[in-house]
Amino acid sequence: MTATPRLGRQRRSVGFVPLAWRNLLANKPRLLRSSGGIGFAVLLMVMQLGFERAFFNASLEVIRLLDGDIFLQRASKYRFATENPFPSRDLEAARAVPGVASAWPLYAAWHRLFWRNPADGKNFLVRVFAFDPDQPILSLPELDANLKGLSDLDTAIVDRRARRFLGMDPAPPAAELNGSRIKIIGSFALGPDFENDGTVVTGDRTFAKLLPNPRGGPPDVELGVIKLTPGSDPITVNRAITAAVPTDVAVLTKGQLLELERKFQADVSSAGPIFAMGTLVGFVVGMLISYQIIYTDLAEQQPQYATMKAMGYRSRYLVQVVLEQATLSALAGWVPASLASIVLFRIVGEVALLPLRMTVELALVSLLLTLSMCLISAVLAVRRVITADPAEVF
Amino acid sequence: MRFALAWRILTYDTGRTALAVAGVFMAILLVFVQLGFFIAVPQGGMLFYDRTRFDLLIASNGYEYQVQPGDFPLSQLDRAKTAPEVALAAPLYFGEAKWRSGEDGKAPDVFVIGLDPQARIFTVEDVNRQLAVLDRTDTALVDSATRPMFGPLTAGRVVEIDGDKVTIGGDYVLGTGFMGLGVILVSAPNFVRLFPYRNLSQVNLGLIQLKPGIDPDLAAASLRKLLGSDIQIFTRPELEAHETAYWTTRTSVGLLFGSGLIISFIVGVMVVYQVLATQVSRQLPQFATLKAVGYADRFLGGTVITMALLIAMAGFFPALAAAQGVYAVIREETLLPVEMSGTRVAVVFAAALAMAAGSALLSMSGLRRADPADLFG
Repeated sequence: MTATPRLGRQRRSVGFVPLAWRNLLANKPRLLRSSGGIGFAVLLMVMQLGFERAFFNASLEVIRLLDGDIFLQRASKYRFATENPFPSRDLEAARAVPGVASAWPLYAAWHRLFWRNPADGKNFLVRVFAFDPDQPILSLPELDANLKGLSDLDTAIVDRRARRFLGMDPAPPAAELNGSRIKIIGSFALGPDFENDGTVVTGDRTFAKLLPNPRGGPPDVELGVIKLTPGSDPITVNRAITAAVPTDVAVLTKGQLLELERKFQADVSSAGPIFAMGTLVGFVVGMLISYQIIYTDLAEQQPQYATMKAMGYRSRYLVQVVLEQATLSALAGWVPASLASIVLFRIVGEVALLPLRMTVELALVSLLLTLSMCLISAVLAVRRVITADPAEVF
Repeated sequence: MRFALAWRILTYDTGRTALAVAGVFMAILLVFVQLGFFIAVPQGGMLFYDRTRFDLLIASNGYEYQVQPGDFPLSQLDRAKTAPEVALAAPLYFGEAKWRSGEDGKAPDVFVIGLDPQARIFTVEDVNRQLAVLDRTDTALVDSATRPMFGPLTAGRVVEIDGDKVTIGGDYVLGTGFMGLGVILVSAPNFVRLFPYRNLSQVNLGLIQLKPGIDPDLAAASLRKLLGSDIQIFTRPELEAHETAYWTTRTSVGLLFGSGLIISFIVGVMVVYQVLATQVSRQLPQFATLKAVGYADRFLGGTVITMALLIAMAGFFPALAAAQGVYAVIREETLLPVEMSGTRVAVVFAAALAMAAGSALLSMSGLRRADPADLFG
């Protein structure tokens, strides 16, 4: 077997990919077919994964916008979108803790305020967030321009991305909340989630007027938003606040707040399993398609592979060529499918008003799935090459 | 002959055919699953109505869907009772409260249905059997689908709802649908005890049962005349249409599962096409020979279509069986009423045939290359 080392050198001079590359390009209609087949399987996976992420992101979006380091809420509050407020004096207690730079209330209503669409006079439940306009605690850049106006009574800013039947896009000059006339002084883009059709932001005084505290005084606080003085130790301050407030008020970091919501959504909704199932089907179908392609190709090229074997190429090299080819056809399916999903996400996201985004993470996850789908089927199909018997060629 | 040839080609290379059938199986299964969700969501919204006895539903003009019904005066319901067609007019009260006895000190929201136990409005025997329990003060029946975060639902357990102590009188099997994470039934007097600011003279919904033999459409028309335009009256079909439209168009459900449906259909076409195209190109010399001996293109095309249909059918029936299993799992996991219906089977079967036809048409172009002259090239 003195010939083998020489061929090994020759392989290097032929290069790493060319044989696989040429095999792939040898039959253009088949390449088109394979990238179409694999591509649609990838598209299915990406769409399902994207929907799943959109589902969770839609309900996390507002929490992410909260501008604070530490948050106070009722210990019995099991999710963000439920009204379970605590008295404002507990927030005062937290404000007095050393290391706390500011502690401001977020007021919220999810099922107590009805928005009357001025266009058709119909009433719809909306979620309303309110805060002191001098202390904006939602980091929506578009809010800042309108903060001054929110200090006036009976003013509000509305969500342009709310569901269309609310009539918030474009923002009407005025509308009604629970029968009170409200002047609309601006708009922002947030978007609905699976339970809330639209969002309205008001100043604290307007909120208190709309939903007065039955016990008098300022409204109860849905969420306390606390910022720390620079340089203070979050853990120490967290502990001090916990000691300063009653035990039925919980002290949470933003991460904990997000985690509570994510866990609730995962426990209660079936979005996770629903979309996981779609992804799995896409994977299996993609595997079947790519197995079919590689298998056919190998069957057709068997004489060539046997010849190469007869010339002294090792099975290892031939297997490598097959795997390279599988990788290339994975890419040939993945690239167009990813581009198509960017477009589809944009369209579906606009129509369904969902945060559907092609993120780097999603691109990487889908690329990984595509590669493993094609490589697994290549490994399954490649036995044919290993068993290629040079004698059969003749 | 077409069938025989198609059969011979498919059985000649069983491994490849099995692959195609597996692909079609997956694609059809996915179509079933997406369709299941697409329909399950409105069905979840209809769950309460489907298990309630009524011919007509009276609701406020602000009625959105079952959980957001608005309210109207009880006097309208009393007036409806005077109509000669009406056998029974029962009020329903809906409220949301904090269940303060949840696991881990959490207080999940519970959907409270207030009703008149004597009216026996449910078709569920399980509920009717236990209705007498509701006459006890501060006693509730709990839906067995209430989530684990509410803690044990054992009869006799005393829980705190808003500020009140309420005794669980038992549980029943109906389903929570989209009413919330937990649902309880209470009598109207207990309902106002839970919600002191609510007044029994404002009701959320009115259930009308008609005397035997009365046509619901005619009765609805005469009740509309009697009660005026402050309220609306739904017959059962009208109500189902309204709720379905709400869930498919007003939420993102329609779009999410609708687009999933379309993509799984296309994936199915791609799988079958893939296999057919390979078969066509592999059998090209044979097809060319057939052409040379005088078979028309139509015959060859027919053979490809037959192959496609055979593959689709072979994939369809196992997929139907598997979908039954998947639906059972989904029912278990999501508590949504996902069920196989005759129409659904028919629709998916039609889709499977369309898949086959679509992929056959795509692979037909390969046939045209079957040139007898090439045989001797």
